[in-house]
Amino acid sequence: MNTFKLTFTLNGEVTEVLAEPSEMLVDILREKMYLTGAKKGCGKGECGACTVIMNGEAVNSCMIPAMKAMGAVVETIEGIGNKDKLHPLQESFINEGAIQCGYCTPGVIMSAKALLDKNLDPSNDEIKEAIAGNICRCTGYVKIVNAVMSASQKIKG
Amino acid sequence: MFQEYYMAESVSDALSFLNKGPGDAVIIAGGTDLLLDLHEGKKRTKSLVDITRIPELKNLSMEDGIIKIGAAVTHAQVAESELIWANAPALAMAAKKVGSLQIRNIATVVGNIINAQPAADTAVALTALGAKVTIADTSGTRDVHIDQLYEDVGKSRVDCRRELVTEVIIPAHEQNQSSYFVRLEQRKALALPMLNIAVMVSLEKGQQRFEWVRIAMAPVGPGPMRATNAERILKGTEIDDEIITKAAYEAAAQANPRDSDLRGSREYRLQVLPALVKRCIKTAVAQVVNKG
Amino acid sequence: MKTFNVVGKNIKRNDALEKATGKAMFSTDMNIPGMLYAKVLRSPHAHALIKSIDTSQAEKIPGVKGIATWGNTPRELFNTSATMTFTVPSMEPVLDQYIFDKVVRYVGDEVAAVAAISEKVAAEALKHIKVEYELLPAVFDPLEAMKPEAPIIHECHAGKNIPAEIVKFGMGDIEKGFAESDIIFEDVFKLPIQKQAQLETQAALAQVGSDGGITVWSTTQTPHPSRMIISKIFSTPQSKIRVLNPPYVGGGFGVRIGLSAKAEPIAVALSKLTGKPVKIVYTREEDFTSSDTRHGGYVWVKLGCKNDGTFQAMELKSALNAGAYCSFSGETPGVLGAMGLAVYRMEHMSYYGHSVYTNFTPSGAMRGFGNPQAMFAIEAAVDTIAERIGMDPLELRLKNIIQVGDNWCLPYTCGSTGLAECVEKAAKVIGWERRGTLNEPGSKILRGIGMGVGTHCSNAWPFCVDYDNAIITVQQDGSILLAVGVPDIGTGTSTTLPQLAAEAIGVEMSQVNMTFGDTLTTPFDIGSHASRTLYAAGTAVVAAGNDVRKQILEYAAVVMKIALERLDITKGIIHISGSNEAESCEGSGICRSGEESMTHISVRELVYHAHLRNKQFIGIGRTIPPNSPPWHAHFYEVEVDTETGMVKVVKVAAAHDVGKAVNPMIVEGQIEGGVLMGVGYATSEEIKISAKGKPLHTSYHKYLLPTAMDAPEIHAIIVESNDPSGPYGAKGVGECGMVLSAAAIGNAVYDATGIRFNEIPLTPERVYKRLQENKK
Ligand SMILES: Cc1cc2nc3c(=O)[nH]c(=O)nc-3n(C[C@@H](O)[C@@H](O)[C@H](O)COP(=O)(O)OP(=O)(O)OC[C@H]3O[C@@H](n4cnc5c(N)ncnc54)[C@H](O)[C@@H]3O)c2cc1C
Ligand code: FES
Ligand code: FES
Repeated sequence: MNTFKLTFTLNGEVTEVLAEPSEMLVDILREKMYLTGAKKGCGKGECGACTVIMNGEAVNSCMIPAMKAMGAVVETIEGIGNKDKLHPLQESFINEGAIQCGYCTPGVIMSAKALLDKNLDPSNDEIKEAIAGNICRCTGYVKIVNAVMSASQKIKG
Repeated sequence: MFQEYYMAESVSDALSFLNKGPGDAVIIAGGTDLLLDLHEGKKRTKSLVDITRIPELKNLSMEDGIIKIGAAVTHAQVAESELIWANAPALAMAAKKVGSLQIRNIATVVGNIINAQPAADTAVALTALGAKVTIADTSGTRDVHIDQLYEDVGKSRVDCRRELVTEVIIPAHEQNQSSYFVRLEQRKALALPMLNIAVMVSLEKGQQRFEWVRIAMAPVGPGPMRATNAERILKGTEIDDEIITKAAYEAAAQANPRDSDLRGSREYRLQVLPALVKRCIKTAVAQVVNKG
Repeated sequence: MKTFNVVGKNIKRNDALEKATGKAMFSTDMNIPGMLYAKVLRSPHAHALIKSIDTSQAEKIPGVKGIATWGNTPRELFNTSATMTFTVPSMEPVLDQYIFDKVVRYVGDEVAAVAAISEKVAAEALKHIKVEYELLPAVFDPLEAMKPEAPIIHECHAGKNIPAEIVKFGMGDIEKGFAESDIIFEDVFKLPIQKQAQLETQAALAQVGSDGGITVWSTTQTPHPSRMIISKIFSTPQSKIRVLNPPYVGGGFGVRIGLSAKAEPIAVALSKLTGKPVKIVYTREEDFTSSDTRHGGYVWVKLGCKNDGTFQAMELKSALNAGAYCSFSGETPGVLGAMGLAVYRMEHMSYYGHSVYTNFTPSGAMRGFGNPQAMFAIEAAVDTIAERIGMDPLELRLKNIIQVGDNWCLPYTCGSTGLAECVEKAAKVIGWERRGTLNEPGSKILRGIGMGVGTHCSNAWPFCVDYDNAIITVQQDGSILLAVGVPDIGTGTSTTLPQLAAEAIGVEMSQVNMTFGDTLTTPFDIGSHASRTLYAAGTAVVAAGNDVRKQILEYAAVVMKIALERLDITKGIIHISGSNEAESCEGSGICRSGEESMTHISVRELVYHAHLRNKQFIGIGRTIPPNSPPWHAHFYEVEVDTETGMVKVVKVAAAHDVGKAVNPMIVEGQIEGGVLMGVGYATSEEIKISAKGKPLHTSYHKYLLPTAMDAPEIHAIIVESNDPSGPYGAKGVGECGMVLSAAAIGNAVYDATGIRFNEIPLTPERVYKRLQENKK
């Protein structure tokens, strides 16, 4: 086996973990780091439940072979806020009823965060485009789009 | 799936890795096609050579009217590039249509071409734009016109176990030129197209006549297909509805789509194709006119 | 009107924080030491005999710990759906499945399963299991499958390949009704196979203890019935089995009412074989091919009407595609008929419907449960009649809809209806008056507006056994633990049920915690389905809350020396009713000193007072909840591109009479989600099948459920009719958003194009073809 030491910055901390070349980032996060926030809804890039932010861009972590994460800066839902200090997106998702079963939620929030990190004034259509790779079967997206919108207002202050 | 993953540092590094072994290494860019093919057993390999960290392949630039897009450039970069919107809009439009943002953030334009799926969005746009790809092997580089790139469905003439495409080259639009891309899709995101059409128009002075028109359509054959008969009809003619309509039907006459259980029958696609070609040509013309 | 402190408020969901921070646990997240991973070998054939299975090569692979086949697993018949635990006598549940059988009946049917140290090893092992099949003829269309020459999929007593019973009911004299009608519309409609496509695939983790006790963490929507099924399969007493959600479930929509496909029994079987915990997570493809779908099939409708618009008679028939195993194929045709015939008032009605086995993925429960299929046909009939008699379809509906007290075909009464209000409000939002003026002549994009009205249930009774229990235990510190056996599949029950409890007792929401989705910590409940959780389990919660409240007040009356009738509890304070805003007396020490002039005491202090005197307050709610119709009116505005056939839903106004919105934000969410699922049903979602029976739409990429970019503008409108039977007036809502989309979108497309589509989804190709034919 070509097991190697994967070094990357995970939620602000330099992290080392043994990985195999054919392992995908989502499995490393979920199985080895016990960060189960990123979900696996398809394993093929088709649902966005596994979305994390890598080097500033939203990516499907199920499509990222371990080596692509080498040296990268990776953010997951666990890293953007916690119960004492929520990210404004987490706050508005909670306040505005944008969460139902919650299985898509970490992925949607990460996609939305990648958007707001670049664009604090998104239009409805821009929000929809940014989260179109995140399937949500519960909400009809109405409250999700509203929550992203109000988070952007909140961040702008 | 594979045992070794090599992050190449330069083009020559990648080529020498590819060529050192018995041909069981293969290039990976974004991996959005390759990883699925490997996962499903459609392809097999021992080693992958990742080219996305090679600095010279990250180039997206324009010089002397030539746009160059390196092999590590993603769909998202193209779709957000003002340079591309201004000088080759059909490509930006096509790149914006690929999959989802997460896919576009890692998938490359060059990978889209090489993977040679009949409906590859940017490949269709690039065909209308008259693009060339630069292929490097251990003996040097050569440019191949995109029209000449396809052998069959899923097969390009690039041997990604031996060769490497370093970039795509597109002539930027002149003042009298523009391009447009339309897509017939069953869903606004995460959907492969039922049909995609790209058109580039070059108008004569005064904007009353076509100088020439290039029309690419897919999936109506093994790779993006040029509607050569339609192009011939339009060449040098006065711009009017009638001739555009005629050309659009001529394009359909040349197309040869297959019946697909997932993405529409041959018959349906042939029937709606003219309307899409027309929309494309008309909008491209209007864009030139709007430039003034 | 009664004012509420907790009910009717947009209280933040109890589960939202965990879910927003990625901390919420789902079955797929479970991980326990020593756990093995399972993978399933599935049939590539639509119908075949298994002549032999050779697992010897697979067993030799390092890391493989056990392989289950029909040879070493229980030969106990069951039904993956909860129907086997709650079919009402004299009906008999259909038991037609083994964990693994010697016959495979659809592409994706289970053949064997491997447990190994990793998913990768298990997947590799599958490739080394050799199976010899003898192919059998297969059939895929329900009408074909009823023909004498069709292969027998299961022996059936009701008719060729007809599972369970043929459902027949009605009232009046249908022939007479049609004879008295001036106008009759009759047609047949064809429905596609839709998939729940919930985000979390089927999953289970099973652990079998050395005493034979079984623990299963899984994605089930019905922990208690699932436990009954597992108990039967493995001949283990229910009391030695624990089934629980971990505690969250990534959506349900009906796909796991009962077992999560076969995730639970496969995990348990492998755990028994290997002596280790075994986890199984279906791939997305397996979820598509091998877990229940919505019934496709055929619905016939015949509607008779007087020239003045009075409905006289309706005849409804259905033949639904059951797929290869029964699941809920006995109940679905029944609910299709019952809901379809419950919307309009008329004297004469009849229904005849059933399912038919085919060699395809089993159909089971999915949001709406037959109702969307019925309404697609019925609402087309109503619009057509309206056009023929020259009446506004909105007026025609208002004229004929059921009113409180009307005689109807259901065995319970219509105790409330806000349907007329729904129609009025939603019509206003959509701008119904614009209908007919939307298109310029010669326009290539045609616009149209269509509507539909309907009802649903708030509970599963009388369609199945249905009773509810709730236990409220007041803890020594005054915090309150509510135990209910329903899960929270995302619909917010872990928030709304505590709301009801808080309201009933008179405490703050923050004082109530809930245990749910766990057979060990909760009393029996049939689970989350049938739009029933809030309504039905809610009646038990309110009963338990009232019980506790009574106990508290009785005790308080003695302590406070105030007559029981004079006491009330508000926001956690027991006080003399009518006395203004109860002030907190907490910490005042009054209760301990037993002062004479006590006027207030907090529940917290009273409870501790009781504790020190050997008393605890435990409220029990045991109810047999009734049923009640929620009502809804949906309006859709669509655009049809005549050059491509593309249908785009632009705007939706969906008004729902939910009785009482216990948490309006959650109610809106249910409506919005249902509407979009319905838009998918009407326009793009379908699992098609190859000539050899292979499902073609087996991934999120191929199966076209709407993305955010496809979502129209949706206006969810809440109407409250305050139902006399529901908890604080509430009725069901969970499924309702989904019921009318196909019906109303079909009518909108007709309004736009003048073409009536009897088949969905309205794919561009289907629409384009008819537009072309129409031109000729
Ligand atoms: C969910 C999903 C949705 C999608 N939707 C669309 C869509 O709407 N439209 C569309 O057109 N495509 C779509 N795709 C496919 C699209 O992502 C790919 O075609 C992508 O552009 C390929 O680029 P890549 O960098 O990922 O290529 P890779 O997968 O890395 O490579 C593809 C092939 O090209 C070879 N290759 C790559 N780069 C080079 C090079 N420089 N030199 C030589 N060989 C090379 C590889 O060896 C491989 O054989 C979708 C994919 C997914 C997973
Ligand atoms: S799990 Fe990665 S996109 Fe679905
Ligand atoms: S909340 Fe359930 S899938 Fe989005």
